[in-house]
Amino acid sequence: MASITLDNLGKVYPGGTRAVGDVNIDIADGEFIVLVGPSGCGKSTLLRMVAGLESISEGEVRIGDRVVNDVEPADRDIAMVFQNYALYPHMSVRQNLAYGLKNRGTPKAEIERRVKEAAEILQIGPFLDRKPRALSGGQRQRVAMGRAITREPAVFLFDEPLSNLDAKLRVAMRLEIKELQKRLRTTSIYVTHDQLEAMTLADRLVVLNGGRIEQIGTPLDVYRRPASTFVASFIGSPAMNLLDAKAVPHLPGTAHAGTIGIRPEDLSLAEDGLIEMNVMAVEELGAQRLVHGRTSGEAITIALPSDAPLGDTLKLGFDRKNLHLFSRDSGARID
Amino acid sequence: MIENRPGLTFLAHLVLIAGVLIVALPVWVAFVASTRGATDFMSGTIPMWPGPHLIENYSRMLDTGLSTSGTPPVGLMMFNSLVMALSIAIGKIAISMLSAFAIVYFRFPFRGLAFWCIFITLMLPVEVRIVPSFQVVAGLGLLNSYAGLSLPLIASATATFLFRQVFLTIPDELTEAARIDGAGPMKFFRDILLPLSRTNMAALFVILFIYGWNQYLWPLLITTDAQYYTIVAGIKRMADVVDGLPQWHLVMATAILAMLPPVAVVIGMQRLFVKGLVETEK
Repeated sequence: MASITLDNLGKVYPGGTRAVGDVNIDIADGEFIVLVGPSGCGKSTLLRMVAGLESISEGEVRIGDRVVNDVEPADRDIAMVFQNYALYPHMSVRQNLAYGLKNRGTPKAEIERRVKEAAEILQIGPFLDRKPRALSGGQRQRVAMGRAITREPAVFLFDEPLSNLDAKLRVAMRLEIKELQKRLRTTSIYVTHDQLEAMTLADRLVVLNGGRIEQIGTPLDVYRRPASTFVASFIGSPAMNLLDAKAVPHLPGTAHAGTIGIRPEDLSLAEDGLIEMNVMAVEELGAQRLVHGRTSGEAITIALPSDAPLGDTLKLGFDRKNLHLFSRDSGARID
Repeated sequence: MIENRPGLTFLAHLVLIAGVLIVALPVWVAFVASTRGATDFMSGTIPMWPGPHLIENYSRMLDTGLSTSGTPPVGLMMFNSLVMALSIAIGKIAISMLSAFAIVYFRFPFRGLAFWCIFITLMLPVEVRIVPSFQVVAGLGLLNSYAGLSLPLIASATATFLFRQVFLTIPDELTEAARIDGAGPMKFFRDILLPLSRTNMAALFVILFIYGWNQYLWPLLITTDAQYYTIVAGIKRMADVVDGLPQWHLVMATAILAMLPPVAVVIGMQRLFVKGLVETEK
């Protein structure tokens, strides 16, 4: 168990390309942090810097009280789960789980105990003597997690561990990872580009864009009070409507804002609605129906109950407190 | 391609059988010759069926050899060839694996230069550098020794490239997982790379063993002591008679014996060999 501090962390590649900059995060002991952002935002680089697989060009990483900038990955007391599992194909599941411990000179009986324990937690007992290629994707993912658990590390690092699984399995494994982390209370950093995965797993979310942190906060915080237009459009599905304040001039109290944001689920049909929308397409989701259209030339989406009446034009109303205002220049939130 | 036309099937088999016959005929003639008496092949017509002297010819070659040509018994020559082929095959695999490991996994100064130097040796096969190689080996006092037979042939660009390709197919994550699991470079090499390239090593071993076994010019050049004659070079010496007739029946018996170890290696390692050449997934 350990806290992690990322202090002014930055990564500049030899060519001068900056991948990550000015990252400051304090991660508490036992916390589940999710790094989320679009591809190329530097989230994996950041994780790999914590793991020690990527050199650190600026700032410091501290695990516990120890600065680990120049510590080998094996000595950082971490375990990592990779996207493509990275199991040793020529070793049985048991050997895969034990390999790291064996290299550390852990006594045989202790290795045995830990492998057995991990196998029990992850229900991979029956496969212990099989080779990875004889396992399904979900089982391989479990083994990869088992390999991390047997290490009993201070920190778990997950690099998009579920992206190779099919949608159904991903949801199930997501829940399992969450439960597992709750049970083991191990500090975890989890990288994903899937905002839903990020929302459901995280104690705190770190939203990254272009190598910089856009916002840190609990999933609900980030959802309710996105710090910038980027976060607003990235977190939440369907994405928040972002309207140019000039294009919809008749909303009261928005004069100082550049962009007005409102979530599709916060819009409703209203006779005296201020927004008039031309319907262009409808998506039926079963419980909900998403209506896409335009208002004063801006794209807008609204989530309606599946029995809501439809027409070519809809009048939309909203609650003033559900509006999000963003500055014109920086895209930052205005309160 | 899957075709289901009897005419085509027949034609395909015809072509294949004809091919097999063309390849097998010389071997058959050699075998027939090795079972005949000394004069049978000098009579003008080449016999196509085995004669009565099989055991006599073979036991003579294995026992005493053809002393008139100055060659030792076949058994010794086969042993020499075996030592040479094994050292070349194993040496080449060991050296090229290690150099491929260095080139793929380490960032050291002049790495590119090292790579190109290895690459350039592709243009310098034994035949091209035979005179300077001889000079060096002679200077080192390695004439008439097993080291002299095998060492100059051990460096191999081809094998290095093959292992480089193999290592490049091993995903980076595996390397990183091993790093996190506390495996240092040599441990990684032993525990991960070696087992993962097992089939490639086997395929390469087959090819290199045959390459080493069939070496002709080099052993001919650097062995003057009959104790170090290899079998392929030995056959040449036997067939080279200045005033007299070549003892074809004995030469052919030796040739047949010389074929056996490569055949054994190919048959014994066939499964791994094929796997090593076609398998791509790691």
